[in-house]
Amino acid sequence: MPFEMPQFALAAPEIWLGVMLCVVLIADLFDRGGESLLAFYLTQATLVGAMALAIHTHWGGDAVITFNGMYISDSLAAVLKVAIAGLTIITLGYGRDYLRDRDLLKGEIYLLVLTATLGMFVMASASSLLVLYMGLELLSLSLYAMVAFDRDSRIGAEAAMKYFILGALSSGMLLYGMSMIYGAAGSLLIDDIAAAALAGDNLLLAFGMTFALVGIAFKFGAAPFHMWVPDVYQGAPTAVTAFLGTAPKVAALALFLRLMVDGLGDLHAQWQVMGIILAAGSLVVGNLFALVQTSFKRMLAYSTVSHIGFLFLGLVAGSDEGYAAALFYAISYGIMAAGAFGMIMLLSRRGFEADMIDDLSGLNDRHGGYALVMLLLMFSMTGIPGTVGFYAKWLVLSALVEAGLIWLAVLAVVFAVIGAFYYLRVLKAVYFDRVDSPQPVEATSGQQVLMWANGGAVLLLGLFPDTLIATCRAVFGLG
Amino acid sequence: MKTIYLLVVLAPLLGAAVAGLAGHFIGRSNAARIAVAAVAVSALGSLWVLYQHVWGGAPVFDETLYQWAQVGGLSLEVGFLIDRLTALMMVVVTSVSLAVHVYTIGYMHDDAGYQRFFSYINLFTFAMLMLVMANNFLQLFFGWEAVGLVSYLLIGFYYRKESAIFANLKAFLVNRVGDFGFLLGIAAVLMYYGSLDYGEVFAAATLRPDMSLSIFGTEALVATVAGVLLFIGAMGKSAQVPLHVWLPDSMEGPTPISALIHAATMVTAGIFLVARMSPIFELSDAALSVVLVLGAVTALFMGLVGLVQNDIKRVIAYSTLSQLGYMFVALGASAYAAGVFHLMTHAFFKALLFLGAGAVIVALHHEQDMRRMGNLRRYLPMTHITMLLGTLALVGTPFFSGYYSKDVIIEAVHAADRFGAGFAYWAVLLGVFITALYSFRLYFMVFWGEERIDPHAKAHMSHLPGYVLPVMQWPLVALAVPSVVIGYFTIEPMLFGGFFDGAIHVLSGNDVLAKKGETFHGPLAFGLHAAVNPAFWLAVAGAVVAWFFYIARPDLRPALTRPMAPLIGVLERKYGFDELYRNGFAGGGRQLGALFWRGGDQAIIDGVIVNGTARTIGRLAQGLRGVQSGYLYHYAFAMIIGLLLLLTVFVGRWQGWF
Amino acid sequence: MLSLLVWLPVLGGIGVLVAGRDDAARARWFALGVAALVFGLAVGLWVAFEAGVAGMQFVEQADWISAFGIQYYLGVDGISMPLVVLTAFATLLVVVAAWEVVQYKPAQYLAAFLIMEGIMIGVFSALDAILFYVFFEAMLIPMFLIIGIWGGPNRIYATLKFFLYTFLGSVMMLIALIYLRTEAGSFAIQDFYGLQLPLATQMVLFLAFLAAFAVKVPMFPVHTWLPDAHVEAPTGGSVILAAITLKIGGYGFLRFSLPIAPEASMALDWLLIGLSLIAVVYIGLVAMVQADLKKLIAYSSIAHMGFVTLGFFLIFRILAGSGSRDGALLALEGGMVQMISHGFVSAAMFLCVGVLYDRMHSRRIADYGGVASKMPVFAGFFVLFAMANAGLPGTSGFVGEFMIVLASFQAGFWYAAIAALTLILGAAYSLWMIKRVVYGEVDNENVDALTDVTPRERLLLGTLAVVIIAVGVYPAPLVEVMEPSLDALFRIVVPTF
Repeated sequence: MPFEMPQFALAAPEIWLGVMLCVVLIADLFDRGGESLLAFYLTQATLVGAMALAIHTHWGGDAVITFNGMYISDSLAAVLKVAIAGLTIITLGYGRDYLRDRDLLKGEIYLLVLTATLGMFVMASASSLLVLYMGLELLSLSLYAMVAFDRDSRIGAEAAMKYFILGALSSGMLLYGMSMIYGAAGSLLIDDIAAAALAGDNLLLAFGMTFALVGIAFKFGAAPFHMWVPDVYQGAPTAVTAFLGTAPKVAALALFLRLMVDGLGDLHAQWQVMGIILAAGSLVVGNLFALVQTSFKRMLAYSTVSHIGFLFLGLVAGSDEGYAAALFYAISYGIMAAGAFGMIMLLSRRGFEADMIDDLSGLNDRHGGYALVMLLLMFSMTGIPGTVGFYAKWLVLSALVEAGLIWLAVLAVVFAVIGAFYYLRVLKAVYFDRVDSPQPVEATSGQQVLMWANGGAVLLLGLFPDTLIATCRAVFGLG
Repeated sequence: MKTIYLLVVLAPLLGAAVAGLAGHFIGRSNAARIAVAAVAVSALGSLWVLYQHVWGGAPVFDETLYQWAQVGGLSLEVGFLIDRLTALMMVVVTSVSLAVHVYTIGYMHDDAGYQRFFSYINLFTFAMLMLVMANNFLQLFFGWEAVGLVSYLLIGFYYRKESAIFANLKAFLVNRVGDFGFLLGIAAVLMYYGSLDYGEVFAAATLRPDMSLSIFGTEALVATVAGVLLFIGAMGKSAQVPLHVWLPDSMEGPTPISALIHAATMVTAGIFLVARMSPIFELSDAALSVVLVLGAVTALFMGLVGLVQNDIKRVIAYSTLSQLGYMFVALGASAYAAGVFHLMTHAFFKALLFLGAGAVIVALHHEQDMRRMGNLRRYLPMTHITMLLGTLALVGTPFFSGYYSKDVIIEAVHAADRFGAGFAYWAVLLGVFITALYSFRLYFMVFWGEERIDPHAKAHMSHLPGYVLPVMQWPLVALAVPSVVIGYFTIEPMLFGGFFDGAIHVLSGNDVLAKKGETFHGPLAFGLHAAVNPAFWLAVAGAVVAWFFYIARPDLRPALTRPMAPLIGVLERKYGFDELYRNGFAGGGRQLGALFWRGGDQAIIDGVIVNGTARTIGRLAQGLRGVQSGYLYHYAFAMIIGLLLLLTVFVGRWQGWF
Repeated sequence: MLSLLVWLPVLGGIGVLVAGRDDAARARWFALGVAALVFGLAVGLWVAFEAGVAGMQFVEQADWISAFGIQYYLGVDGISMPLVVLTAFATLLVVVAAWEVVQYKPAQYLAAFLIMEGIMIGVFSALDAILFYVFFEAMLIPMFLIIGIWGGPNRIYATLKFFLYTFLGSVMMLIALIYLRTEAGSFAIQDFYGLQLPLATQMVLFLAFLAAFAVKVPMFPVHTWLPDAHVEAPTGGSVILAAITLKIGGYGFLRFSLPIAPEASMALDWLLIGLSLIAVVYIGLVAMVQADLKKLIAYSSIAHMGFVTLGFFLIFRILAGSGSRDGALLALEGGMVQMISHGFVSAAMFLCVGVLYDRMHSRRIADYGGVASKMPVFAGFFVLFAMANAGLPGTSGFVGEFMIVLASFQAGFWYAAIAALTLILGAAYSLWMIKRVVYGEVDNENVDALTDVTPRERLLLGTLAVVIIAVGVYPAPLVEVMEPSLDALFRIVVPTF
């Protein structure tokens, strides 16, 4: 095949990230501040820049494929990358003081974050199985390292170990599936795969697709490939958990959209039933397990699983509405989760981890404002109107109804009601439990600002979701 | 004219408002003055209205005051219908009410709730007037329930007394049972006659007399159904068997209201209702038979219970029950005028008897047991005389008002040929004897025989000036006069002078009074006719028996009562109605409620369904928990299972399983 | 104008939170000012409202979520107008009632009620289905907090029960709404009318709506959350719960169930009528045996709301029975009047219980007795309200019941007979309660220590007494307002008449 000069400009975000990565590395070497302030601000700046570049290069216009068809630049990439970078920024902001209090504040963390982000960016723009896999591994490896970042923490190490091994297993399956697909399509390029899929029911293709789906499901943490989620969420330092629980979900969605939709969209009939199984399983498992948790972090982990189930429902609808709904869901969920983990970090102090539900008791007496934010976050996760979470669920439901899957919609809402119970339990602790001597919350101004912004975002997007919805739909060419 | 009608109605309402809301600011005596003045105004107004309608040739007034609500084509209104029937009722109500008001000044003299009491009886006068002056069923029902409310408040006037607040709850609930039927009756009227306005309803009724509906699987005349349902309401208010149980207990209230509400006016609302509804009742012999029979039963058997009572007020209460029975008998015999006539005379002499009893009770320092009275004529001469006159009127002594009204009823039912008329005739005839017996038993036990007053009460008597306050004496006298003479002067015009033409509607075939009228030659002759009249001799017999066993030979009484012990036992238990209701309905309802609550709401709905679901889910979750063992190989295993699951789906699709 | 009514209380609530953070007095006055202002506006709206017109008035329309054509679409007709005023009135009462009673976080308490008010007015004036649903659900949040924070000992169970019950009911409706859009092509409620859907579809939709509204009303057998919620809720919470939120269920039947699924309503009316009659009798009997004042009133609320639903769903049988259009209208309007009246009466009853509770801190009937001797004025009010609760003519409680019983007779003797049992049952549980609480000898030293109503309470109860009697004596203005709209609704539901 003829080799032509790739349009490097289109890959500006990734290139920028790569360059800045080195800059941060070097800058941190010379930073004697001890708190790696320089690295922190540089990283944040880098991410902001990446967002700007992503919008500038990808947003609007038609999709452009370059690097010999391996890299795609389209609005979807823009939205995904902005979401990824944005969520990373928030979680980093929450995490800094937390990490400092635990002497984990080293420059490496930022490097890992940046490499992970780079991986996710690559996934978002991947148009070839190879690139897709590369980005995925870049992300995964950074995450393994981050989970184990607290060397002295036993459960941290254990969690990292589990994560690594299971991750390897899933990657293996994914890779196996990809090779099958390659065998069937005779090409690694998504376009060719799509063409092959269009050609008609291809046994081999579908077979490979099944394995690929397992890998994707693992990254999402969809049942029954979710077992790692609670342990890792609990084991990792909360700052890492916050990162782990937000941006990578968007990346996982990117993985699904690029591979299963752009590539194997025409096999929708094949993977729909599998998707339904994964979705239903996640709803059941996530909600039921979350009911009985006493650790806030574990509860959030399982609630993630249930949310992933809901997100999958949007995907199995198999319509552009559905994909848009899933995208909206991933973004809004990221915002809520960031807030929730941020709250844990905000309430934690040196030597005290506020990761049990009981630790939230009497928050309303301690600080009405944070209680209010918590209220918004929890009701948003429940899906009560007035918060962004409602539209996330609502979009998925209407996609299902329009796809004629009403029974799935009913199942979904029933489990949403069951789910409401454990979110209410949190609010019960926050508002109804009275503590004898409520000591005031001490939080750094940075965290405070972020927390208010986070709550405000949940509320504002809950009142005026139009722009975000329109954006997510525009990506899929919907009015 | 309209202004006068409004004045008559609103004066008492105003009085009630002032005495009730501002009572504490204006003080006791002022409150009393205002209340009495209000009723006086209304009484004078009523007299003027009656005069205008009888001699002044005033036209029948049927106008809407204001529209209560308009639903589609149906207009619910508040308005007055004033004809001679209404005018007469207005006079009876307001005049007795006035007498009672005056009497109250003395009777309640040193009661803490002085203003409250006046406010209540003013309010009652207003409500009763609204009832009788209504020109539609809505307002009728309003007045109907409003008098019930005031009765409830007044029976429970001594709200610290357990028996009183039991009695008033009982009274209200039993009345509600009646209203249950009454409301259904109104609903039936609206459905089939398409309006709630008397005029339109009666017109529609007479237009289609044989309209029928199917109920309980059988066809029945609309008039029958509506009539019976409305009569159930009347049974509640006028305490007819089996809804009579509340009236004796209502004697827990202060005596003045026993006279006003539970003798003279409210309890006669049922009679007024049936008379007012004559155009409907006339269409259905069945309905009238029901009225006739139940009236007769009440007249006879409640009189019997009166024989064994020792509480002076209860004796009179049972007598009221039986007299109301007489009135219904008259109505049931289509002799509506006679019923209303007896209503009027009875109002006067029964109010008189109650107020007299009240005087006795006050004089004896709230002693009501006749066994601790006796020979009181020495201390209470005036009361004695007036009560004697009242008694004579009640038993039907010739030329006394009661004689005329009661005798006409007996002869009317004799002339009637409706189902149950025969039974009714004998019931009311025998009733005369019973009436005389218990009336004179009371009279003799209270005013004659040896003195059985307990000393402490006696001590109290002596420092009462003349034993009874004059302000309580005058009403007695004022009521005694009409009790004696009113029958003589009014029987001819009211019963045979076409007095109620237009107000009361009787089919010529049923008009027993008209038959009677042919043989009527003036009140004098009617009075003299008593000599050849079984009723008169039965009354005499009753009086004599009472005299013999209570004055002449009290020692023979045991000889009389011993053989009749079982019968007396039944009478003392009042035929067991109270037990039946208390245990059967009240108790049963409560048990049912408890069953529904504990069994239905708590056990099944909450226990099994609501909390049950929650519990099941919780258990499920707890059970599943074990899966998350924390062992790596478990996790990996789970992933493999998941993979196999998806592969199954994959294979299934290619095998075309689904 | 409507937007003002919706958002002024919400912003006011936030203002209270900010202004009254650590100054209770300022919070109270601020809240009172807002509530009074809103009530003034509501009354103004009522005055400006054209009674003769059936259509929506004061309509506001703006794009909200353009992608789905969801609009910010407000408006009121004769059905919602009285409810809006009622809401503003009840909130004002609650603010005054809370005055020196609520000591724990008064600012948050008052703010919750003001925000609640805005949301509820939103529910009544929303003409876009999603907008309606947003308000409908958002309502749960403040009520959840009100019961949970200021509630009684068992408040956790009560709140969770209340929340999950209602949530489960309403999500079904959400799916129905989403489905309706696919049929109607828009979320405007009026576009849902007259869709001529097949009966089976209507059935499903009807049941979905039933799930949402039956819980709210609440109808047997999904009523058990109400007694618990009432018992645990603070006085204000009970007042709002009984006076307004229950009405939203009835309102929903009129706005959604009947006009959107008329054939289904007709086919399933036996179910609704049956449940309503059960509510009247079964619940009436249950109310009688309650030992807790609030539980008793809560159950009586359910019984009264049973009358509402009875009136709404009897219309088909009335038309079948007597063919009288007026009869059917009588039932509908009876139901509406009953809703409004119950709003006043139940509010009054719960305020009375509040007055007692503030002094004795007990809701057990057995702890009382002889209150009249110590609190004569209060006793007068309480008896009056109990009588209104028992449907005494001359009080608002009578109007609706009277209309519905009259109408139900036209559907058949037995409907009327069972419905009319309320005359007996209502009187039984109301007055028996009065007998045990108000009358009798002074029962114990706690009662002996009672003091009569303060001027503030006197004002509260007095106002309610005046309103209740006014509506009872002259309901015409109320009926006039709702008649045209109900008539129009009627045309949609049964076009043949």
